[in-house]
Amino acid sequence: MNVVNAAVRVHGLVKNHGRGQGRVRAVDEVDLEVPEGQTLAVMGPSGCGKSTLLHLLGGLERPSEGEVWLAGRRIDTLSERALARLRRRSVGFVFQAFHLVEELSAAENVELPALLAGRSRREARRRASLLLERVGLTGRARHLPSQLSGGQRQRIAIARALANEPLVVLADEPTGNLDTTATLDVLRIFEDLRSAGQTLVIVTHDERVAATADRLISMRDGMFVDDTRLAGTGTGWLGGLIGLEG
Amino acid sequence: MGRIVLVVRLVLADVRRHKAQAVMLLVAVIAATATMALGLSLGGASQTLYEQTREATAGPDVVALVPDLGSPVAPVMTLLAEAPGVVAHNGPYRVVYATLTAHRVASLVVVHGVAEKPGVVNRPLVTSGHWVRAGGAVLERGFATALGARVGDHVTISGRSYPVVGIAVTAATSIFPWAPGIGPYGGPSDGGGLVWLTREDTRALASQGLPVTMALDLKLRDPDAAQTFIEAQHIATRVSFRTWQFMADQDTVMLRTTQPILVIGSWLLSFLAITGVAALAAGRAAEQTRRAGLLKAVGATPGLIAAVLLTEYLALALLGDALGLALARLAEPAIASPTASRIGGVGGPTGTVIVATTTLAVAVAVLSALRPTLRAVRTATVSALAGTTRRPRHRPWLTALSALLPTPLLLGVRLIARRPGRAVLHACSTAVTLIAITNLLTYYAEPRWGFAQHRGGWGPGLSGLPDMRADHDSRLLLAVTIALIALATVNTLTLTWTTAMEARANMAIARTLGATPAQISAGLSVAQLLPALPGAVAGVPLGILFYGQIITFPLFWIAAAALAILLATTALTAVPARWAARRPVAQTLSAETG
Repeated sequence: MNVVNAAVRVHGLVKNHGRGQGRVRAVDEVDLEVPEGQTLAVMGPSGCGKSTLLHLLGGLERPSEGEVWLAGRRIDTLSERALARLRRRSVGFVFQAFHLVEELSAAENVELPALLAGRSRREARRRASLLLERVGLTGRARHLPSQLSGGQRQRIAIARALANEPLVVLADEPTGNLDTTATLDVLRIFEDLRSAGQTLVIVTHDERVAATADRLISMRDGMFVDDTRLAGTGTGWLGGLIGLEG
Repeated sequence: MGRIVLVVRLVLADVRRHKAQAVMLLVAVIAATATMALGLSLGGASQTLYEQTREATAGPDVVALVPDLGSPVAPVMTLLAEAPGVVAHNGPYRVVYATLTAHRVASLVVVHGVAEKPGVVNRPLVTSGHWVRAGGAVLERGFATALGARVGDHVTISGRSYPVVGIAVTAATSIFPWAPGIGPYGGPSDGGGLVWLTREDTRALASQGLPVTMALDLKLRDPDAAQTFIEAQHIATRVSFRTWQFMADQDTVMLRTTQPILVIGSWLLSFLAITGVAALAAGRAAEQTRRAGLLKAVGATPGLIAAVLLTEYLALALLGDALGLALARLAEPAIASPTASRIGGVGGPTGTVIVATTTLAVAVAVLSALRPTLRAVRTATVSALAGTTRRPRHRPWLTALSALLPTPLLLGVRLIARRPGRAVLHACSTAVTLIAITNLLTYYAEPRWGFAQHRGGWGPGLSGLPDMRADHDSRLLLAVTIALIALATVNTLTLTWTTAMEARANMAIARTLGATPAQISAGLSVAQLLPALPGAVAGVPLGILFYGQIITFPLFWIAAAALAILLATTALTAVPARWAARRPVAQTLSAETG
């Protein structure tokens, strides 16, 4: 196992929710390694443990058992403070419900991670401006989330996730709340990120999203039941089928 | 009927779910209404006590005091005793100005020389022991209480020792320490206690060369015309008259500063009650709006929803009002009669007082609950169910300003920008606390000259009696200040908790973006501390304004108190802020999504 080049690695990962009779094993003895630059899609039915796995990878939840490594550093033993600092530098989150700060404009939302990381206001603004351009929303910089469509909000959330140039972007059902057009916009951004060598872990129900990945893992009852390397260097055969290539 | 039952059931269910909030509303309303009821009842209570003492002791309608300055006094007294309108009299009798010592405490006193068998006018009521006899002294009850003297003790009056044979009350003099009425030789009085001796013992005492005034108690045909009677007397000799109305009014002097303490205290407590309950109501606004949406979805009318939401606050406020009035009724005897110079009971809050406190309680409920109720009623059902109402406003300049600050300040300023109204409430709450503390410290720092004190001092080994009015007022001021601090403390906790709960999604997002729990916790504290700063700064001058004329201003102590308030705010906010900051992020975000 090449630990140095793995952006994310987990070993014997277990996560239990609840206690006693009501205890549920959300993640069950999972081993995983995501090399730098890989786009990994995790699919499975609702409640199979996909989102919990993503939270464990980003240090939002602590495992019941097992190890989580991020950029060669074990993170499941870190304090909350150290985890927060690690997230600041190394992890970008994208959620199904966007989770934008409603009272901040699009640009202010994108600036926020840089400000939290201690960057100057000017630098945070410059970076936000670049990212908004990258997701095609320069003209919406001053808009509040409530003034944007779902697709635009998710693109803002992706820009925000990239604010501190993270090692890995963890996306939890990023197109779950979007219509087809907005989904395609988001998929194009993910494809750009993949091409740029950004490590991506995407939890999804949507096969169109999975088709953009280099690798697809299927989960059921907290366990991996399939691990497929998708062919080609583009968006895979399914990506071509839905028109993301060419 | 069914509609009322439904409203009651919904209200009870909600109260059961939010017991702590119901208790807080109750406590806040009890404190405010009890203080207001006490403040408004004091004047009437003093009057009631005087009238009951007057009734029980056959109190005179007019007391005439003529200083014995060498010229014959008897003809003047005879003239007054036989004046038209006089139906009975007591005296004339000697009033000797002396000093009394007991238990290493000294006091000025006036000694009334009385018959061993009182007449029909001015019959002091013996509450302990028995009436005067040769060689024995009876002490006025208010004075005896202040002195700590009991029947069987020995007191020394101007060098002569007397056993205390009884303790009594009278309506013929003002309450302790204003029993003398006039000073030696007709001059101003420094106050003093009242002692009764037999006529012979008083004559013997006066023979030491002590100043003497002759007194005559008069009963008039028309007691209400006492002032008219006085104005009709054209006597060449200098006579000081005291009407029963004057003495009743004099009783309220003891409470002259007590009333503003309680009334202003009740305003401040009411303000804090409104602040705290408004914070609670605002914190529950989102939940109440969703609840309103659910009720609308199953067919409830806006009227029914408004009734459910308002009834809860109104019912709790009215219960608090009733308990506050009951508390005031229990506390009133101790507060309205601090000297023990009067007997009887106080009648309890009058109709006017009940109307005033009930108005206050209703105002607390309505002012704090009306806005969230109206919002809940007006919100469209779908929006209410989705919980998408009441988004905070975008404040670009505050957001831009906060971007220049370190993370805790950035988070704190942005939290303030979300709900600036709440920050104003917190600033006002802090200002109110500082107003109370400034008044308390200034009151304690003011120099005081106690009553019944010898101007030249009492000499080694002896101390004077404490200033009862100052003691009474300082105790009340302390109690009101403690109540204010307690409410302000609860408000600070409530405001912090409400802010933390409302901003939990944003704080969870900030944590996914790399903010540490300590930064989140510090941000929540900063959001409370920043408004507290101007509150503390404004509270001191406002406190001075409320106090009025200040002789000694304890600048150091007030500055220390302001600093302590800010430190206490930091400490108080730290607990809920820390707790809120440690909530699992994933759980919070999932809850917000769901």
